[in-house]
Amino acid sequence: MNPITEPQGRSWSSMEEFEAFLDNGGLVEPRDTMPDAYRHEVFKFIEMHANSELMGGLTERDYIPRAPGMQRKLGTLAKTQDEIGHAHLLYMVAADLGVKTRNEMLDDLYAGKSKFHNVFHYRVDTWGDQVAIAYLIDAAALSTQQAVFKNCSYGPYKRILKRIISEEGFHMRQGEEMVMRLAEGTPRQHAMFQESLDRWWWPAMHFFGPPSKPNDLLLRWHIKSASNEELRDKYVQKFVPLLHGYGFTIPDPDLRQDSETGRWVIGEIDWEPLKDTQRNVGPDSARRIATARSGWDDAAWVREALDTAAAKIEAA
Amino acid sequence: MRTDTLCAEVEAAVSAVSDPEFPGVSIAELGMVERVSVEGTTARVELVPTFLGCPALDTIRRDVAASVAAVAGIDRVEVEFVDGPVWTPVRVTAAGRRKLADGFTVAVRSEQKIICPVCGSGRVEERSAFGPTACRAVAYCEDCRNPVEVMRQ
Repeated sequence: MNPITEPQGRSWSSMEEFEAFLDNGGLVEPRDTMPDAYRHEVFKFIEMHANSELMGGLTERDYIPRAPGMQRKLGTLAKTQDEIGHAHLLYMVAADLGVKTRNEMLDDLYAGKSKFHNVFHYRVDTWGDQVAIAYLIDAAALSTQQAVFKNCSYGPYKRILKRIISEEGFHMRQGEEMVMRLAEGTPRQHAMFQESLDRWWWPAMHFFGPPSKPNDLLLRWHIKSASNEELRDKYVQKFVPLLHGYGFTIPDPDLRQDSETGRWVIGEIDWEPLKDTQRNVGPDSARRIATARSGWDDAAWVREALDTAAAKIEAA
Repeated sequence: MRTDTLCAEVEAAVSAVSDPEFPGVSIAELGMVERVSVEGTTARVELVPTFLGCPALDTIRRDVAASVAAVAGIDRVEVEFVDGPVWTPVRVTAAGRRKLADGFTVAVRSEQKIICPVCGSGRVEERSAFGPTACRAVAYCEDCRNPVEVMRQ
């Protein structure tokens, strides 16, 4: 995928030809004339990813002053910059698709008209919640991003994912260290993470999304490479033993290990909370969107000052 | 064992450590290793941080200590981030520059210009002084329309 050697500005005479190109592992580049339906589908996906990085970065930011100790503060600070930086890169790629400008995407997000990941619609009340996000949610995000990266058909997105994945890997390491500290800490620390696990386990399950439909365009056009259930199941197989190993209880009374296959089977998922977050009416959606909007509004004078300066330089 | 042989082994152990945020790119390739010395069974590693506030420093310190401690003949490892010299992107080795380019990151400008690591174009516009980390800025290639990251001086 690097460097680009093929000529730019390709076009395809039919959807069949375009899909055959994708099925052969072809990478679509911005100068190509791609089918409009594909352009919109890719745009929607990247826009949601960008929104989620931004809202995730703001969650992280809230914990900079509250993180215990200098090392954790530095870690939280850096993670905030990572997420906002990822959002910045993703908005560039999304805007380039010509569906919405960057400002239109931000306006829609702050007006509550756009989607962002379910996990950022909940309250983050304790350091335990923050650790649960770093450990459970970042791992879920990393696994879905890796699955997209593997087979992604849109060149600029695939390139950014490569970098995002490297950085999320570093977050994962920090998350593991933090959870270990609580797991091996005082009974109060252990209990704090257990309470957070009780709150975050099901949102983590929801994170992967409802069962993929057989005609899912994201799968067909090589944006996703694995179905939502496959990724959720892989995650469950990894995290159930890890959490048990730390001495934590997973808040699923129907969780069981299949005696023949040894695989972990979770109970039935209640999808109502996910639907609420998708309509921006989750437990903390309104406050989160309002906080993000007020940050944007408060910085309006900075943008105006920069625009004025840029116009003066251009005129000179 | 002779000290210089041991020192070479310690150097190799230090060089084997990857940057936590650039898997596959070693801290030696990034130009972070200033000096490695061995006295008796004590190894001393002096590192130059890319940025003082870098949150990965603690992780790098531990990774280096663990890697060097595994060298036979070493009992004690001292890892220190030194005050000087100051790191600049020029310290990134040729191999490091190639590997960063594979990750769409430009280590060093060529004659003040950013050459796009994706398509080779020189029409790259700087967009933001900071990217996802304190050590990287964000630019955009007008030709292939890919975002590109640039190590900050």
